Amino acid sequence: MAEHYSSFDRGGRRWLLQRITAVFLIGVLAFHFVLLHFVNHAAELRFAGTQMRMSQLGYFVTMWLFLATATFHGVNGVYNALVNQGIEGTQKKAIAGVLVAAGLLLVAQGTRVALAMTNIV
Amino acid sequence: MSTLDRGTVENFGRWREFSAGMWAWVFHKFTGWVLVGYLFTHIAVLSTATSGAELYNSTLVGLESLLVVRFLEVGLLAVAVFHILNGVRLLFVDLGVGLTAQDKSFYASLALTGVIVIASIPTFLGGAV
Repeated sequence: MAEHYSSFDRGGRRWLLQRITAVFLIGVLAFHFVLLHFVNHAAELRFAGTQMRMSQLGYFVTMWLFLATATFHGVNGVYNALVNQGIEGTQKKAIAGVLVAAGLLLVAQGTRVALAMTNIV
Repeated sequence: MSTLDRGTVENFGRWREFSAGMWAWVFHKFTGWVLVGYLFTHIAVLSTATSGAELYNSTLVGLESLLVVRFLEVGLLAVAVFHILNGVRLLFVDLGVGLTAQDKSFYASLALTGVIVIASIPTFLGGAV
């Protein structure tokens, strides 16, 4: 008989957001891999090509949403994995704080990088 | 529901008794940790773009000239493809679709990951070997 294993409380807000970001990430991660490894070979990537792609509004927005959703999905996944392993109380709060700070820093730095890759800054 | 007590999946000490669903859980967790670790590394490497085109280009060329980086990229592809395919499987399971065939869909995820990764090796190693 099949059983269900999950690190999440099913039906919770974090559980739902993890699923919604997953649906978006499935498409955009596959697109990212195909574009930057198969359409354009990774070894042949140069700043000029990156700048050309990132200066297109649609591509830029897609990549920024990719950054934001991947960061949320990853950090939320790590948090839930640790909760699943039994962290509680102060330890749980401290880890949540560190993960939120790490996530926000990553999105901030990623945004800086994304803007530097365009021809508008 | 099930009458079989398989114990706690978090108890890795009893991995020899794990069923397909438990292995899927372990692999999804492992690939998730790798991907989130890579995400931070990826942004760190791309941060060279903030110092100009020259540093960005020389960093990418330098990394791509290393054979070990090409193999790590193949590993990353394997991890990402499995996480995507098993993620699709999890979404269906959460919707109540295919729950009784969840072991078969796990094996299918593994097999398809293997096929995609093997087929991609020439592209990933091209020019490095």
